[in-house]
Amino acid sequence: MSVPISQMWTVASYVLGQKLRGRKRYPLVLMLEPLFRCNLACAGCGKIQYPAHILKKNLSVEQCIAAVEECGAPMVSIPGGEPLMYPDIGRLVKELVARRKYVYLCTNAILLKERLQQGVFTPSKYLSFSVHMDGLREEHDEAVCREGIFDQAVEGIREALARGFRVTTNSTLFDGVNPVRMQIFFDEMMDLGVEGMMLSPGYSYSKAPDQEHFLRRQKTNEIFTKMLSNPKRRWKFNQSPLFLQFLMGKWDFECTPWGMPAYNIFGWQRPCYLLQEGYAASFKELMEATRWEQYGHKSGNEKCKDCMVHCGYEATAVDATFASWKGLSAAARATLTGKL
Amino acid sequence: MSDEQASLEGWDPGALDTARLAEVIEHAFDYRGDVTLVLDDGRQVEGYLFNRNRDVAEPFVQVYERTQSGASSIPYARIRAVRFTGKDTAAGNSYAAWRERRQAKAASEH
Repeated sequence: MSVPISQMWTVASYVLGQKLRGRKRYPLVLMLEPLFRCNLACAGCGKIQYPAHILKKNLSVEQCIAAVEECGAPMVSIPGGEPLMYPDIGRLVKELVARRKYVYLCTNAILLKERLQQGVFTPSKYLSFSVHMDGLREEHDEAVCREGIFDQAVEGIREALARGFRVTTNSTLFDGVNPVRMQIFFDEMMDLGVEGMMLSPGYSYSKAPDQEHFLRRQKTNEIFTKMLSNPKRRWKFNQSPLFLQFLMGKWDFECTPWGMPAYNIFGWQRPCYLLQEGYAASFKELMEATRWEQYGHKSGNEKCKDCMVHCGYEATAVDATFASWKGLSAAARATLTGKL
Repeated sequence: MSDEQASLEGWDPGALDTARLAEVIEHAFDYRGDVTLVLDDGRQVEGYLFNRNRDVAEPFVQVYERTQSGASSIPYARIRAVRFTGKDTAAGNSYAAWRERRQAKAASEH
């Protein structure tokens, strides 16, 4: 695994602190969406289908910071929409870094080189560009429905690395993915010099253009097992090893949707980053008034049935790491040996 | 609305009693386009209905009006009609269209 020690320490001490306080539900990563605008329209994305006047709206930096402080999570992921289209992205990131939040700026990297050349960002151990990469050139360009985007993303990654930034990749996998081609992709990303990779199956958004290629649970287990059962030592994953093992079918986790709460122009999204069942006016209201028992794999909720997405289960995996010796030893073993 | 209906775009369910209003508001909440709400004083509010809450003493919807910057809250009790007047931005099949274009291009290159 490739998470830096300082970040691991911050997360570990935060999780242990929550456990010592007896908190059953706590946030680990805030999913902060300052805008829904995007310069792509990917086949599997249900996030950007809104009227033009909604797509023009932005959260203010002050609204973002207030949400971050109210939530209190040690990590902030900035997806969207495309965050590099957010006019105040430089100031937002600077404010978050000043608060020692570990920031993952999730970008398709179309604008990355340009923004870096404009001097919008300063390298920091708290800032990682998490570049959307759904596989090798052919697969990625197909997933984002535009040719040439893979090459642009690679160019952005090279520029960021050359300037001393932390760079990770995030890949969403759909039905039809070729595990061998993904293994070649892992090699290619490691050759590029990224710090680590993040993987997740896609969520079956009801509003996404492509409804045919969302993975079901058993298929997810099969694909991740083929892809990761004999991982190369050089492959680095910037996520919990227990989450990857869960995707391989080695753990039976339950969703913790409060682990990665989402905030956007509509408020605090209920119950999670993926499902839109309503909005709360405050984080407190989200945590206290959401009927959490109605969600998750075991709830019987049809919308949660096949979901194994990181924003529901990665926080579970991190919690499980510190919940028992079994979890801790499995995570330590995977981290030290690289075996999953 | 029939199950066969692919999109609610253009749908006008007409006058609404209390039970029907709640049902139509659920559709409006799920709809990815603007709607027009007709209020008890005859005023028409056109915008994106992004939230609703029935679990409070006075159920309300929240709307970003097309011509206003902030969101407004409107009690269910004031709503007389809901019309699906805006374009459904989630309708259509842009992925299929893109694949067809890509396949046509690949065929022409061979």
